Amino acid sequence: MANITLSPLYRADGSAKYSKAGYSVIAAVSGPIEVQRRDELPEEAAVDIAVRPAAGVGGLRERHLESIIQNTLRRVILVSAHPRSLIQFTLQIVTSPEDGTVTGNLPQAASNLPVLPALLQASILALISTSIPLSMTLTATLVAVNSNDTLIPDPSVQQIKLASSIHVLAFSSHGELLVVESEGDFTMDTWEEVYQKAKLICHGEEEYKGESESEDMSMNSEDVSNLENVLKDAVERKIAKSQRWKESMG
Amino acid sequence: MPREAEPSINDRAFLLQALQENIRLDGRALDAYRHLDISFGDDYGVADVRLGKTRVLTRISASITAPRPDRKFDGIFTITTELSPLASPAFESGRQSDLETHLSRILETSLRRSQALSTESLCLVAGQKVWALRADIHVLDYDGGLIDACCLSTLTALRHYRIPDASVKGGDLTVYTPVERDPVPLALLHHPVCVTLNFFESGEKWLVDATLMEQQCSEGEIVVAANPQGEVCLVQKGGGGEVDALVLLRCVEVAMGKVRELGKAMDGALAKDAKRRDKGGMSRELRAENER
Amino acid sequence: MAAQTLVLPGEAIPSDILPIPSNPSLALKLGPGLRHVPPSTITSVLAGSLCIDQKKNSIWVENNSGRYIPQPNDLVLAIVHHSSTDWYHCAITPHTTLAQLPQLAFEGATKKTRPQLNSGSLIYARVLSASKHTDPELACCNPSTGKSEGMGELKGGMVFDVSLGMARRLLLARQREEGGLVVLEEIAEKVAFEVAVGRNGKVWVKSGGVKETLLVGRALQETDREGLGVEEQGRLVKKLLRGI
Repeated sequence: MANITLSPLYRADGSAKYSKAGYSVIAAVSGPIEVQRRDELPEEAAVDIAVRPAAGVGGLRERHLESIIQNTLRRVILVSAHPRSLIQFTLQIVTSPEDGTVTGNLPQAASNLPVLPALLQASILALISTSIPLSMTLTATLVAVNSNDTLIPDPSVQQIKLASSIHVLAFSSHGELLVVESEGDFTMDTWEEVYQKAKLICHGEEEYKGESESEDMSMNSEDVSNLENVLKDAVERKIAKSQRWKESMG
Repeated sequence: MPREAEPSINDRAFLLQALQENIRLDGRALDAYRHLDISFGDDYGVADVRLGKTRVLTRISASITAPRPDRKFDGIFTITTELSPLASPAFESGRQSDLETHLSRILETSLRRSQALSTESLCLVAGQKVWALRADIHVLDYDGGLIDACCLSTLTALRHYRIPDASVKGGDLTVYTPVERDPVPLALLHHPVCVTLNFFESGEKWLVDATLMEQQCSEGEIVVAANPQGEVCLVQKGGGGEVDALVLLRCVEVAMGKVRELGKAMDGALAKDAKRRDKGGMSRELRAENER
Repeated sequence: MAAQTLVLPGEAIPSDILPIPSNPSLALKLGPGLRHVPPSTITSVLAGSLCIDQKKNSIWVENNSGRYIPQPNDLVLAIVHHSSTDWYHCAITPHTTLAQLPQLAFEGATKKTRPQLNSGSLIYARVLSASKHTDPELACCNPSTGKSEGMGELKGGMVFDVSLGMARRLLLARQREEGGLVVLEEIAEKVAFEVAVGRNGKVWVKSGGVKETLLVGRALQETDREGLGVEEQGRLVKKLLRGI
């Protein structure tokens, strides 16, 4: 189950902690702040992302993740609302399940993707916490496909190792596909199934539920609340807290 | 290059005026620490220290490498501190600031050079294989007291960490997974803790655990690292202001008291976490150390 | 009282909950957190509670987080960063572009009598103009009358940080009725003090002594942090007053 804390940090303009399936990420956003001349864009805000691993210094893997996240968030943020400014993200990975297994080398995942959904979710929550104008919200999930074509949502490290392919998909609050990153061998039909599954997890589409019953019931039943509702719940709690004073006014 | 915003003339004057009346803005006594909270994650070797609004998370990790050729019997222990915009928009990622250099030097001296961790105990096969231990310090929130919080967080994480058990038979190294054998604690020789004091009124007045604003208004600072047994590992004075020698001695004395206080808080937090993990009360019997 | 519902960014506001204007020619007013997507869709861009005022025919999203963005006519507390020939350059929030304050935008200021402000001086000013494409401009007097109206350099005292929502409540004309705030009134019965509230989440407090100033600041910050109701504020003030 996803665990969300909005605005856990004091100094950043907005922040969020998101934990799910062994991954835990703290995201902090500063912005809109002054941008360095060389990064300044005349018509829109520059979006800067820094992904920091739990142990060790960032490398190629982090740069790759940063570029995916930056391209996604630039679509989500209304960048034209704050031209010539900077919206700065720092995404700190706090725990990842690979860390538990000391093998002799620094914990380095074989794949870049498993942590991506947590990073995306944490960034969107931090954005909400910062009150930066957005055109939509997003939700992201990870689905693995194993050798006999079974879909595994939120797979464990072991399951990822054995999977024939893994997929990260993110959907906007309007139900559009925003990000898709896949690794491994798979057919177009498998991908289609993954797409439907991920959409159900993120967005909880009603039409699909009927169909899914015949296929694979056990997986769906545990995740009744889709990610979008989880996100909404967290925001609702935060807003209720900030408006507690209104209760006494009647 | 971004910099921490300076307090206004009014704030500065008010803070100094209040100090003259022995009042701190948050209502603490001059020699009191802010509320200290130490918590741990599910993994071993992760310590989350909150000192008021300052928050530091340290993670210890280990890998096996070859030792340095000139130190064949010593393992490797590195401490990395990188200040990111997470803690304050004034910090730039990927660029070392003066504060960062200062911080890592002090941690280096107080924790590494004081031999808090016995690097010899990290040796697996002399000259060939040793443990390389690293402490990654993540500053999550910055409101002064950075050195104290980082040092405390790193030491707590080291004390909390369990390294995989290993054995050598006929030159062959076997590293056991946690399922095969319980990982073992690190060999720590002593527990040094840093205490920072800031000076005001040309060294006449000092206070413990300054917030960022107090730090910005102060004339200088002194860092004392010592262990609860009363052995001083480091005294460093910075900031330029003059300080009387007797005041300095008095400060070291105060710092000693604080070191014991922090040491106790750390012991308490570790004991509480050990209890939480030791659900069935069986860990004592199951521990690999007992076999030897 | 305005009706409230939670909105997330990107949600379209259904047209049936929009206020019905008393007069068809009256334009609907969109407040912060909403944008108009032609031809006739209104979507939220922030997360918060949707507030509707039927009488004023306006609709907006209320929330209480993030960084202050200067808006014309807001009163702010700013710090002078440096000065150039004709301007003071002031910081409204840290790490953003500096706002410009003309050196002659003070009550009765002429080339010879203009106030001399050093870097680090605290000023209370009104945002004259602000748009996303230009640096904000400040003034310490009403441009039409030339009167200071309480603005200008603030001497002494101390600035306390509060949330943006709290600053907004403190600036309401009727704090008790609309903002549910009695904390300042309650303290004022026992302690004399001055305050200046900046929309940028800052409150300047000055009182006879250090303890009194701190009391006001702490009362405000705690009311804000804990979201205290009217009665709780009364209890808090009593507790704090006992301390001095």
